[in-house]
Amino acid sequence: MKKTPRMQQVEEMLHSSQIVSGGFFGEDRRDLTEIIDRDTAQVTAGGSTPAELTTKMRKITSEAKKGLGMWVDLPDNRRARIDEAKGQLICPWPHPFRCDKRVTTLENQTTGESIIWTDLNIHLIEEHNFFEGKGSPFRIEPALLIRMLF
Amino acid sequence: MLMEILIAVAVVSVIGAVLAALLTVSELFFRNYGPCEITINDEKKITVDGGIDLLSALVAEKIFIPSACGGRSTCGLCKVKVLEGSDLVLPTEEPHLSKEERENGIRLSCQVKIRNNLRIEIPEELFLVKEYETVVDKITDLTHDTKEFRFALKEPAEIRFTPGQYVQILTPKYGKSTEEVYRAYSMSSDAADKNAIELIIRLVPGGICTTYCFEQLKKGDSVKLNGPYGNFRLSDSDAPMIFIAGGSGMAPIKSLLYQMVREKISRKCTYFFGANKVKELFMRDLMEEFEKKLPNFKFVPVIAKPDANEKWDGETGLVTEAVRSAFQKASDCEAYLCGSPGMIDASIAVLKELGVTEDHIFYDKFA
Repeated sequence: MKKTPRMQQVEEMLHSSQIVSGGFFGEDRRDLTEIIDRDTAQVTAGGSTPAELTTKMRKITSEAKKGLGMWVDLPDNRRARIDEAKGQLICPWPHPFRCDKRVTTLENQTTGESIIWTDLNIHLIEEHNFFEGKGSPFRIEPALLIRMLF
Repeated sequence: MLMEILIAVAVVSVIGAVLAALLTVSELFFRNYGPCEITINDEKKITVDGGIDLLSALVAEKIFIPSACGGRSTCGLCKVKVLEGSDLVLPTEEPHLSKEERENGIRLSCQVKIRNNLRIEIPEELFLVKEYETVVDKITDLTHDTKEFRFALKEPAEIRFTPGQYVQILTPKYGKSTEEVYRAYSMSSDAADKNAIELIIRLVPGGICTTYCFEQLKKGDSVKLNGPYGNFRLSDSDAPMIFIAGGSGMAPIKSLLYQMVREKISRKCTYFFGANKVKELFMRDLMEEFEKKLPNFKFVPVIAKPDANEKWDGETGLVTEAVRSAFQKASDCEAYLCGSPGMIDASIAVLKELGVTEDHIFYDKFA
């Protein structure tokens, strides 16, 4: 598919280190549309929607904030924790969105699986269906996210 | 027909190439701002090539402005006052500047492009900031995700700092991290120990610098630090003190305690330190030593949720709740906080409830 100039501009920004060191693509060689399409298909196959996922992610982050950096117990033998850093992250898409630098770690103590996301991840999934490229430090595997959230 | 198409393609290609060449040449002429002079605090003058950003220009002259995001305008730390020669505040700076700051010419130095001579003002203490060549001397595991790093200073061989201040670690390119970044950490060492710097670092998931420190650094490795920075320090008053910290927030408090011992400061002081589990409490022996040396000092470890098999008869729950239950009223106290922004915000709320006035609450919101 031919890329629009806007899409090309977004892709360049996602590949660059202007917002986060190493960019948002990791080692992924696929183009943005393909990443988004494949991940969205996985979400649909998992019986969910980006909106549903982000609602749950935001709720868990909100619960974890109450722990002030300590683990907070959640239902189904899961726990979550917040790590915060000074500063803000901005959305690589050309629109004004900023969020605090906050990492949520969600751990399932039964299976031993864990997943991390930033507040920016929540926005990227919610607004742009973008789970980041494979190999990116904050890449979210849709299948793992669904397993952890439901 | 084919020849006509080939000629058309060739013509279009040549036109494109000529336009690209023109653009490159014009950039060289029109965007070459030549040498520009920066006057700092009306004392020091430096000359730099125009076209670069102010933060980079100052760093090249070994004038270090705190910055944690590598010039991406996301940390909002690199503020300077531009008195003359400034252009308009960029949209990227706006969220980091208050109305008052904008009116007073405060800019993020990473966003100020040098196009002409500038007159700027920076805090005097930044002239004392130096870059230190160091070697990792010792790495101590404190918990499963927290370590203390001791860096022996090579050049310069000594540092002078006020307990409570912080340094920045230069994280080089490694693995998937494609550019150098600086990250700030409070010094945990005794300021009298002039030949070394100690830092307590907690591993942040996906964190560029903490991952570098935990996975790459080993004894004998060279590391560049710069500092000291920050205004977090003990006041000169005699007011009773409440220290609140969690995890790596132990660092500056430990440095303050060394200072209190050295300077025989006998102010009443209660230190609330939060940890998740008993096994995540660290430096208890050292805190007991401080309790022996400082008669008015009390260490109160608070465990958020002890495991069933952990023996613990101390405070439990959130550190802020322990503070709330320890004091009926604390309006005569000063508070010193170090931890994540969320922990600091929650602590401030509790301290205000207890009557501590905002000007008596001191903190550096570093994770």
